[in-house]
Amino acid sequence: MRLSIKDKIGQRCIIKDDGQKIYDAIIESLKQGETVTLDFDGVTQFASPFFNYAIGQLLKDINEVDLRHLLQLENLNETGKLVVERVIENAAQYHGDKDYRKIVDDILEQQSRESG
Amino acid sequence: MVQKIIQIPRINDEPRDIATLFEIWSQVNGCHQNVRFDFSQCDFLRPNAVAFLGGLARLIESRRGKVVFDWDTLRNKAVKNNLRQNGFAGQFGYPSSGWEGNSIPYREDRTLDMNGIMDYLTFNWIGKGWVHVSERLRDAIAGRMWEIYNNAFEHSGSKIGVFTCGQHFWQQNDLILSVIDFGRGIPTNVRTFLRQYADEALVSKLSGAACLKWAFERGNSTCMGVIARGLGLDLLKEFVRINQGRLEVYSNEGYAIIDAGGEQYVNRDISFEGTLVHITLRCDEKLYHFKDEAKPPY
Repeated sequence: MRLSIKDKIGQRCIIKDDGQKIYDAIIESLKQGETVTLDFDGVTQFASPFFNYAIGQLLKDINEVDLRHLLQLENLNETGKLVVERVIENAAQYHGDKDYRKIVDDILEQQSRESG
Repeated sequence: MVQKIIQIPRINDEPRDIATLFEIWSQVNGCHQNVRFDFSQCDFLRPNAVAFLGGLARLIESRRGKVVFDWDTLRNKAVKNNLRQNGFAGQFGYPSSGWEGNSIPYREDRTLDMNGIMDYLTFNWIGKGWVHVSERLRDAIAGRMWEIYNNAFEHSGSKIGVFTCGQHFWQQNDLILSVIDFGRGIPTNVRTFLRQYADEALVSKLSGAACLKWAFERGNSTCMGVIARGLGLDLLKEFVRINQGRLEVYSNEGYAIIDAGGEQYVNRDISFEGTLVHITLRCDEKLYHFKDEAKPPY
């Protein structure tokens, strides 16, 4: 499967709604083990909300190794590459079930150290 | 209805100037009165004040108050010229439309208008020619700035939207942008989020500075769900530091300053409901290049 991002959403990959459109268009093919190529030719602007939804979201269904094998990103400029790599790294480490109680304790401990 | 008169003094970019803005906010917040802003004491007004006053006017209007900017009291020609040039005066009853100059237009966004905001950032701010960057780098910088708007619209809960103003200062060669919302504020959002998981008594002890610091760390987000987020502020912070700019965030009682020297998170004595983001970029062409553009890296 090959998808022109510019044709699908335009030359700005910025908002989560557009990211969701891309996710919806490719998820089934990827789940079936098909290779998907996203062509970013003509896309000039990028922001993290788009990639969180288009690509980061894929990692809840597909592991990182398989995703990197199946999903090809073509004509993505350096800015886009930087953001997408950061998104993949963040999504791969993400756990919805963080221990927030411990996080609060840690913040308070640090706060206490800094004020003391 | 009784009319309250608010004196607008000289307002610069320093923390004490922001405190002045928050004092003005506290004078009108909670009281349902008509407000007249008086400029007779004002001989200097930075874009952060312009964006803040515009937002404050809309906040008062949203509570059925009437707002008048008393243009007859604005005798300082430079301030008046600037407010006319950036379109603020025209938005608030002065018979004038903005024009091209050092000012970056005053802007109000009730909703997240992606193309409108990106065009503004791309062509009216970074791409206006103050600093000579390639189109690719211009687009990259605008994309990073977008993260401010995304945060404001996604997290703040501001009912009146987001307010922006900027300016290029020739003498300092600084390009600045101030973006303000009158939403809940980042510390409030962080505490509300963490209250779902930890005891109220503990969460309420979290300072504004500690909450801001948490929000600025990569991967932290107050949005729950299966999709990882929490990169926007981190990407912005990284960009500003690498390019020797300065990012200041005032939110509730917290204050964050990020520059080439590091990051500082501070608690302030004065608070306001909302978030003010202030970015300063140096217009030094030597600073802004991609690795493959043969100059210092971005």
